Amino acid sequence: MSGGRPWFRMLALALGFAFLYIPIVSLVVFSFNESRLVTVWGGFSTKWYGALLDNQQIIGAALLSLKIAAISATVAVVLGTLTGMALARFGPFRGRTMLSGMATAPLVMPEVITGLSLLLLFVTLEQLFGWPEGRGMTTIILAHVTFAMAFVTVIVQSRLAQFDESLEEAAQDLGARPAKVFFLVTLPIIFPALLSGWLLAFTLSLDDLVIASFVAGPGSSTLPMVVFSKVRLGVSPDINALATILIVIVAIGVAIAGVVMSRQQKTRDRDAQMALAANQQMIDSLKKG
Amino acid sequence: MRAAIRAATATFLAVLVLAGCGRKPSTPEAGPPATAEEKVLNVYNWSDYIDPAVIEAFQKETGIAVRYDVFDSNEVLETKLLTGKSGYDVVVPSAYFLERQVQAGVFRKLDKTRLAGLANLDPGLQASVARHDPGNEHGVIYMWGTTGIGYDADRIAAIMPDAPTDSWSLVLDPAVVSKFQGCGVSFLDDPTDMVGTVLLWLGKDPNSQSEDDLKLAEEALLKIRPYIRTIHSSQYIEDLANGEVCIAVGYSGDVLLARDRAAEAGKELDIRYVIPREGALMWFDTLAIPADAAHPNNAHAFIDYLLRPDVAAANSNYVNYATANTEALALVNDELRNDTGIYPTPEVKERLQPNLAKSAEFTRSLNRAWTRFVTGR
Repeated sequence: MSGGRPWFRMLALALGFAFLYIPIVSLVVFSFNESRLVTVWGGFSTKWYGALLDNQQIIGAALLSLKIAAISATVAVVLGTLTGMALARFGPFRGRTMLSGMATAPLVMPEVITGLSLLLLFVTLEQLFGWPEGRGMTTIILAHVTFAMAFVTVIVQSRLAQFDESLEEAAQDLGARPAKVFFLVTLPIIFPALLSGWLLAFTLSLDDLVIASFVAGPGSSTLPMVVFSKVRLGVSPDINALATILIVIVAIGVAIAGVVMSRQQKTRDRDAQMALAANQQMIDSLKKG
Repeated sequence: MRAAIRAATATFLAVLVLAGCGRKPSTPEAGPPATAEEKVLNVYNWSDYIDPAVIEAFQKETGIAVRYDVFDSNEVLETKLLTGKSGYDVVVPSAYFLERQVQAGVFRKLDKTRLAGLANLDPGLQASVARHDPGNEHGVIYMWGTTGIGYDADRIAAIMPDAPTDSWSLVLDPAVVSKFQGCGVSFLDDPTDMVGTVLLWLGKDPNSQSEDDLKLAEEALLKIRPYIRTIHSSQYIEDLANGEVCIAVGYSGDVLLARDRAAEAGKELDIRYVIPREGALMWFDTLAIPADAAHPNNAHAFIDYLLRPDVAAANSNYVNYATANTEALALVNDELRNDTGIYPTPEVKERLQPNLAKSAEFTRSLNRAWTRFVTGR
């Protein structure tokens, strides 16, 4: 692999990056477009950023979307981790196959079906119990937790499947109670998986249109709903400006996550080396003795 | 992908409509409940489809807080209405959808004694909407328009000086439309609108539900398929403005919007909108109150406010569509009022036809024929 044809690898890399990032770059460039037409360059200008600040509808929708995404990602990580733990650690129990099937079903379920069934569920619940009263932010969060949880479950479960159970057993041998084992041993090790699960859930919630439009109610138009609604009259460039700001926020978030994860990895590697060294010393001293 | 979603949604809607029909229509009696309502109103409308100053003025005058939400398709609105308890007090379905929704019993009968402004509406247009909603009992016309042709006059003249720009032949006659293949022709992605239009051109009833007429229309459409560049319901606004296409079958206000966009971008394009001499289909967006609306009194107050001549004119000026309010006409911008594409002359109005809802079986054949046209097979 290494050596021969470096130009080919460079070309593949360039094409790959171009494929992924040219659309985003053009969006960022056109957000500084003077012209009202999204696709015609009319000179450099930051006026759409100003127009964006005046557009209460879009700002409100963006803040609502971020709030929903943050809350639903957090809840999804908690529930998804519990499910992942149950599937990976509790061995065979009655209903395990059903739980794993049910927990991951939203992954393959068409969004239209998820959205419509949740809508019918919420309406029926309201008729029977009076809750949730009307639809709005709460129902969107519940809906997003439902499908985001499936993604977190899969990530956590596969992380747990790779991880060496003897670490947990060792902690238990040394007298730690299960809760302590979970918080001091398991959680730190699977933390990167939780972080990527959270980011994934956050992203899915942020760009979901179909499910949110089904379960939204008065006063809860999310950003994708507002953007799609504007499509009828053509998208205006202040959407480009907003998208650019979101890209910057997301890029910073991903960069921070990357740094945190690589630091953790380093700490873990160092700990592992120290443990090995200590182990070696012990073996040496035993041999001597 | 959106088309697939729409198709799937439509299937569910069909199920919901059937369920709705089985239910006894529980339209409440017209007339306000005696209890006082909280000062809130939930409006569900298209985005950018109202002058924001109108909402502010209404809030100031009545003290009712307006929550304005937006939908991106009539299908989404219909789903929420048919499942019930949508939470909205005023919704804005197109008449084509209003017709089916009225049949399903999702709307409250309007209390006309509280809508004094109804007298301002054009009786001819009211009669057209009554073909969707008998007696105009559930819907009040908000905006209306036509499905005609937008074109770039200079480029058409350069290619074909004697082009029939006042006829559907411009886009439907293979001998003519083939000449414009190079400069770009766009069609709406809307089977009922487009097939109805072709039937008008063929001299048939645009609301015909006969399979033979549909077959004729499909044959005519397939003949011109190779010359059509895009089939999309809103893309043409941008495309006309930046010159990507030079002819677009489109909605009146949207073509005007394309002209304004081109002007804003500093392009000297002579974009015109025409209602061909064979006639055209007209559409209506109507204000309606869901049967289970929590604030029907506020909803009536809001609809009556929108019927005021100065308010109707402000909205028409803002969204570039025509108001049906005859009293408001004098207050509409000269440029808009004198545009016969937006406010057609009485003779042209005679040739306009509503686009009525079709039966489920016919809709199925229609969608299949349309898919064959879009895919060119």
